[in-house]
Amino acid sequence: MDYLKPTTLEDAFDAIESNDGAMFIAGGTDMYVQMRVGRKKPRSLVSLRNVDELRGIDVGKDIVIGAAANVGEIMDCSAIKEKLPALWDSAQVLGSPQIRNTATLAGNLCNASPGADMAPPLYVYGAKVELRSREGTRTLDVEDFLLGPGKTALKPGEVVTKIVIPAPAANLRSGFMRKGRVKMDIAIVIVSAAAEIESGAARNVRLCAGAVAPTPVRLRNFENLLEGRTLTQELVESSLFAVQDDINPIDDVRSSAEYRRALVPVYAKRLLLSMVG
Amino acid sequence: MRIVELSINGTKRKVIIRDHDVLLDVIRENANLTGTKRGCDIGSCGACTVQIDGVARLSCLTLAHEAIGHEVTTIEGLKDADRLHPVQAAFEHAGGSQCGFCTPGFLMTSSALLNENPHPTRDEIKEAISSNICRCTGYVKIVKAIEEAAGV
Repeated sequence: MDYLKPTTLEDAFDAIESNDGAMFIAGGTDMYVQMRVGRKKPRSLVSLRNVDELRGIDVGKDIVIGAAANVGEIMDCSAIKEKLPALWDSAQVLGSPQIRNTATLAGNLCNASPGADMAPPLYVYGAKVELRSREGTRTLDVEDFLLGPGKTALKPGEVVTKIVIPAPAANLRSGFMRKGRVKMDIAIVIVSAAAEIESGAARNVRLCAGAVAPTPVRLRNFENLLEGRTLTQELVESSLFAVQDDINPIDDVRSSAEYRRALVPVYAKRLLLSMVG
Repeated sequence: MRIVELSINGTKRKVIIRDHDVLLDVIRENANLTGTKRGCDIGSCGACTVQIDGVARLSCLTLAHEAIGHEVTTIEGLKDADRLHPVQAAFEHAGGSQCGFCTPGFLMTSSALLNENPHPTRDEIKEAISSNICRCTGYVKIVKAIEEAAGV
């Protein structure tokens, strides 16, 4: 296996084209484990770590997270902590401190795990994923980027360059909850929620659950019952039944489907009530 | 195979690596620095923790390639000449080590924490060492030792 360290995107595209069976790699915290156990056997790796234009976090009107920015950098970003608390909270539970010093948000997405810790907040914040290849640049909603376990919209030779989170409205409230056996474990259930609260009424209500379907899923049936209304305990509780139509959990080593079905509405309710309370 | 230069504990060394070699293997097998331990080998136990440019990293999930041009510190480079690093002295004093296998990882993690945050709270200490597994101590004396090193 060869390890290539281009410093520009052009060189990265050259490297991927001229090496058969090459893969892009950022932090590598999952890939190297997969390689160790023989589940992935890339013939070469093209590292994105040294590509300048992919580094760092740009806080302007929108918040732009470069594909090579690690999760520790996200936690150190005060604008993210303040304006995107659900994303910050999800960073805080990803792996361990050492993993966070290496792993990237873009990698967490490209891995396309149904239980990716940082994906649900991106869904509720309406994040976009920028993809680039020799042919040009395209931008997808994060919901259109993740297609199934291990499956993304990435085409051969294409790379994620950045994740763009639109400027949150001043009245946006948001939150994140996750259940794992211990923190280092893969999540049993993740729920993230966001809504703009305007004179008591909730607008642009968005909820997303992770580890309960092949990809993170928006709880749209549930959202529709809440949109434009005042989030009272009565309304939330009487709408929670709709969550069950949005999710499709499985039994696995971490949890039963039944437990996941029981947990998602509990977290959805807690999040929404804490956002208005 | 290629010859590269790595800076480990302030010394530049020429080592022969294959591109897929992880830093842990190169530190142990090529540089013969066996203080860094191989535990789980999949990033879950923290025994292989080293510092790269002063930041705690898992050497089992870092390719040796990725350390080129950076300063790697292992447990062998933690003490200053003959003086133990404060976390080493505190682990000894507070009994933060039993069988000792996890200890190098804990020392590298906790000294990196103190680099960044010289006066951590107990919760911050627990969060920092959440990545390191110890099967002997029950962690109480480890936390105590780190608090002692921080002068809490």
